[in-house]
Amino acid sequence: MKQASSWNGNDLRDMFAAGSNWLEKSVAEVNAINVFPVPDGDTGTNMLLTLRSVIEEADRATDNTTSVMSKAMSHGALLGARGNSGVILSQIFRGLSKGFDGKDSFNGADWAKALAQAAKTAREGLSNPVEGTIITVIKDVSTIAQKQAEKNPEDLIAVMEAAVNEAKESVARTPNLLPVLMEAGVVDAGGQGLYILLDGALRYLKGEIEELQFKKPQMVSANITASRNVNIAPTEEEEAYGYCTNFLLEGDNLDPEKIRRKLDGRGQSLVVAGDETNVRVHIHTYDPGSILAYATTLGTLHQIQIQNMDDQHVGFKEMQKQKSMPADIVVVAVGFGEGMIKVFESLGAVVVKGGQTMNPSVKEILAAVEPLEVNRVIILPNNKNIILTAAQIKELTKKQVEIIPSRTLPQGITALLTFNYESTMEENVQAMTKAIKSVKSVEITTAARSTQINGMKIKQGQIIGIIDDSELVACGDDVRSVLMDSLTKGGIDSAELVTLYYGADTKERDAEKAAQMLREKYPGKQIEVVKGGQPHYFYIVSLE
Amino acid sequence: MVKVVCDSTADIPEELYEKLGIEMVPINILFGSESYRDRIDITPEQFYKKLVESKVFPTTAAQSPGYFAELFTRLSKETDEILVILFSSKISATYESAIQAKALVGNIANIEIVDSLQTCGALGLSVIRVAEEAKKGAKINELIELAKDLCSRAHSYVVFDTLEYLLKGGRIGRAQALLGGLLKLTPVLTLRDGIVTPVQRTRNRTQAIETLVNLVKGANKIEALMIEHASTPDDFELLAGKLAEYYPKEKTLRSFYSPVIGAHCGPHVLCVDFIEGKQ
Repeated sequence: MKQASSWNGNDLRDMFAAGSNWLEKSVAEVNAINVFPVPDGDTGTNMLLTLRSVIEEADRATDNTTSVMSKAMSHGALLGARGNSGVILSQIFRGLSKGFDGKDSFNGADWAKALAQAAKTAREGLSNPVEGTIITVIKDVSTIAQKQAEKNPEDLIAVMEAAVNEAKESVARTPNLLPVLMEAGVVDAGGQGLYILLDGALRYLKGEIEELQFKKPQMVSANITASRNVNIAPTEEEEAYGYCTNFLLEGDNLDPEKIRRKLDGRGQSLVVAGDETNVRVHIHTYDPGSILAYATTLGTLHQIQIQNMDDQHVGFKEMQKQKSMPADIVVVAVGFGEGMIKVFESLGAVVVKGGQTMNPSVKEILAAVEPLEVNRVIILPNNKNIILTAAQIKELTKKQVEIIPSRTLPQGITALLTFNYESTMEENVQAMTKAIKSVKSVEITTAARSTQINGMKIKQGQIIGIIDDSELVACGDDVRSVLMDSLTKGGIDSAELVTLYYGADTKERDAEKAAQMLREKYPGKQIEVVKGGQPHYFYIVSLE
Repeated sequence: MVKVVCDSTADIPEELYEKLGIEMVPINILFGSESYRDRIDITPEQFYKKLVESKVFPTTAAQSPGYFAELFTRLSKETDEILVILFSSKISATYESAIQAKALVGNIANIEIVDSLQTCGALGLSVIRVAEEAKKGAKINELIELAKDLCSRAHSYVVFDTLEYLLKGGRIGRAQALLGGLLKLTPVLTLRDGIVTPVQRTRNRTQAIETLVNLVKGANKIEALMIEHASTPDDFELLAGKLAEYYPKEKTLRSFYSPVIGAHCGPHVLCVDFIEGKQ
């Protein structure tokens, strides 16, 4: 190992070369945790490519003073910057070169000063710096590095060691600052990459060449428990947030297990980890004061962080809002059958359960309409007997309510698909009303009683086919042949898209078989099978 | 004269770059560790062929601040005023790079950077109009206002087969609302406030093409129109034929859909872009 304070430009280059090789080993892992600012899984790659350009330019540097070398590296970063993380990394190198300006060699204090410059330059370079990212990590690192440099300005390794330790801590804290990370239960990928880079550089300075060659970097994990399940999901009932409280307890003969038992029940997401002299505590609590008061009886507190989680939650809600549709109109649909309800819900509708055998009351529909946060609601009754019921809602609410006279579930689905996020209420109502005419519905069910219609003698319990919920066109004893017969009479010839929603009493295999027969018989048509799960109806088919 | 700069996602037909003196900044496309500069190292045809054949999933990366700094320095030798119009900052760090490069090069020229919040033809059609006005001698402040105005009236509606690429590429935006549905859907998407947003869900390409046509039909006087595609020439011609009724075919620009954006759409892209008249 070298003597302190004799580090020059070549050392600077070599430590970053080592750091970048160290990062290369973990590129896939860093890519995998990338969720911010866009979850495109290339943060590690972008950082590495940027670093390669840094080292290339460093190799071309004309002399080995720190000043010249850092300028070459900064130039390399600038040219090679890839993606968001690369652009920020290039700012960091630019800051380092500013900090090293005029320096031939550097020591711990110079390094700390350069890091401070790097943190500042990186932050200033962004039009909208976001906390909980590499920006925060470099800031935390530079603060600690400066503190250490005050103690021993000559010792670069000591400053670097403090910096790396803090980088690790800071990365682990990122989810507490950036809700999107909390939601995904991961740390910031850019911060993670920076930690690995600095860690590799430190190992090089310490002469750990074998470790660098044969080991792999350790990934920092989120300091939020095994917290994919932390209650931060935006469920409506959720209100218990309180304060995210986080500190390091130092003392003698500490007993993490005892501390955990003591704190258990005083908040959520409790983590107590450590040994006899250092224990890290993390808890979401309404009363951080009592937690700290208890801890001070055991030892001294460090790195105390208390954050109002409501603030975080607001940030989280904002983010969710940005990601979700700007809906000022909501569609309420009446439907039945587990699968059918899912289809409607997956298309963004609010579903009121009901249909042929169980018409929902005005009150039930109103109960779905009233709590909606929007002032405009479109209702799809999806049954001729419910159209009038739904129309009552108009008189009972202050919201603007329009009814699309859909008589069947297929009509409702087609109307819902026609819904255009950008159109006005009037345009949507017009388009949806028009759309229900473009679909024919065929329903296969059993006759409730014996009767004679359209010249067909039907016995109770026989299989029947109905078009558009009004015209009985086929009957028989075999579901599939009634289905085929009804589809022909329903005009399958002129349809392009046929969707078979099979009911609770129909096996998926049978539905697939029917679809296969249709595909063979009508090769040009798009035939799809969806689990409708509806009772009473073997099939509900839409012909479009 | 003000020099107009845009990025390669603008899908401006090649001959117009030269004719109007527009400078194009290529965006990087990566297949694993192989890196290509859009439309310089790889043509759209080659890209879409590779997209289907390659085992690795392509990613895209913003152009570096260094590239912009060099470009600004070079351009400053021929002009005092540079207007940079770039694709949405919500889906790329390219805008951020340009801002940093501007700070870096100092006062070598009056450099203005506009975040179009658009991409593809919606950006391209706007840039073309701005470049035409620049050529006529418009001042940079007028051009900035014009660019913002045009971008706010520009639309880009796109149709493709699967949301898989958009999801993997991390740019699903509001279209995430469409994931996990039970019906097979062919959504029509657009950029709204710079974010990917579904406009309408259709069940198949026939319905989707119909929707594109209706969007053009419903627009309030079309000032410029571009149609684009990737590996789906038949649908492209079908769409072109249908749109001829609403906008003169000879004035309609035809382009290959941006590989950079296409990396997040997958193959079989069909797109219509237009600038709508003022309300």
